[in-house]
Amino acid sequence: MAEVLTEFSTALSGAVEAGGRYTVRIEARRRLPASGVIWSPDGVILTAHHVVEWDSNITIGLPDGRAVPAHLVGRDPATDLAVLRLDAAASSGSLVAAPLNGDEHLRVGHLVLALGRPGRTVQATLGIVSALGQAWRTMGGGEIDRYLQTDTAMYPGFSGGPLVDAAGRVLGINSSALLRGISLTVPVSTVRRLAETLLAHGHVPRGHLGVKVQPVRLPSASAAQLGQDTGVLLLSVEPGSPAERGGLLLGDTIVTLDGQPIRDIDDLMAILTGDRVGSSVSVRVLRGGEVRDLTAVVGDRG
Amino acid sequence: MLNVIEQLNDDLSRVIEGVWRSLVQIRNGVGTGAGTVWHSDGLIVTNAHVLGARGLSVVLSDGRALPARVLAADRAHDVAALAVDVSGLPTISLGDSRRLTPGQWVIAVGHPWGVTGAATAGIVTGAGRALAEMPGPDREWIATDLHLRPGHSGGPLVDSGGHLVGINTIMAGPNVGLAVPTHVIVRFLHQALGSRASADGSTVRAA
Repeated sequence: MAEVLTEFSTALSGAVEAGGRYTVRIEARRRLPASGVIWSPDGVILTAHHVVEWDSNITIGLPDGRAVPAHLVGRDPATDLAVLRLDAAASSGSLVAAPLNGDEHLRVGHLVLALGRPGRTVQATLGIVSALGQAWRTMGGGEIDRYLQTDTAMYPGFSGGPLVDAAGRVLGINSSALLRGISLTVPVSTVRRLAETLLAHGHVPRGHLGVKVQPVRLPSASAAQLGQDTGVLLLSVEPGSPAERGGLLLGDTIVTLDGQPIRDIDDLMAILTGDRVGSSVSVRVLRGGEVRDLTAVVGDRG
Repeated sequence: MLNVIEQLNDDLSRVIEGVWRSLVQIRNGVGTGAGTVWHSDGLIVTNAHVLGARGLSVVLSDGRALPARVLAADRAHDVAALAVDVSGLPTISLGDSRRLTPGQWVIAVGHPWGVTGAATAGIVTGAGRALAEMPGPDREWIATDLHLRPGHSGGPLVDSGGHLVGINTIMAGPNVGLAVPTHVIVRFLHQALGSRASADGSTVRAA
């Protein structure tokens, strides 16, 4: 028995050691430093958006003990990810890029480690994969390819650090800000996609109308006429927003966008994708019980 | 040869996938609790505190939603037996909750915060009556280092072999998750359901 336990313990410390080679400290806020992951050997660092308060004068604590300057490349509050880059001179030297686990074989119950480096040394907590699920959308409208929840404890400063597997490979970036009180991980596939977009554009384009909405039940006559039971009511319309320029008014209920039925907020978010920024969309609203057709040009929230 | 963690991963995921088959959701009109299929003919155990004032329904692991009726409930031990009108349900094998010792690995499965079938693993902190600062005088508990959340209640706590050792019930303070031991449930079922429980309890192994 003790032999198995010793083997287990050795394997865990091996995974932490492997993960520690690419887990860095991020000093970009007044409070406790947070954690990040070396994404490429030329100095790209991935971390959580909410731990990066400054755009420049950022310091990265590398695994070899050096503290080097870095700057913000781009951030996406909706998925709580940020991309940093080491300043040119600092990136020379041996940076170990994180090996990634595309997570196709991940199952509920698998042992995982959350790593962080809020101080000089790497820290680790052990847990299991608690739940795996479908793609989901964050409160801010960010698309996450897969729901990944663990029971690892997220110690202060662990945000932005990696979730790693038995071999010390990255399964995703941990965030304590996406859902409070639950240890959630943004999976590698989403991180990779967002990193590419942020490196290319500095932000993630997302369609935007400039309204606040709430799902509402339609009056029965309108529901019968339109063939749907619900729509989204405009609770506010920002001055100068795409919605205002398109003639939408407070109190309108959007029932279709670009010809697609809008029954709830998710329907609306699903249509307002980044590739629609700048394009015209038809908007059908209910106003005072009457159907009106308007047109709006989708803005960029990014 | 597989690394020891990969072997443990296989065992852990297989145990949890086995538990899912006899894990149910219990809807009481207000929220969702968990329950465990005790007998294939539709006997389900859960916590008494999961029962609401309104109608109960049970969602099985295959997605079927069925109305449920309460056969018996014991508020003092926080256990209840429900019946759904169905047969051929996958049951869970029962473990020996009297022999649990501190340090043993246990897994709780339920629907914490509504996340269906979520699992959390940890160890037994202590078991029996002689635990300090436990709710209820002289009650038997399994104390664990698991963080139980709303939606865990009534769901299975299993040992490393996937055998049911208790049903997840409440937190005692911020870090101690408590479960009602299986042998307490067995006693409750025999007392409450009598001869029916004898038939239903046929899956109980000698303990």
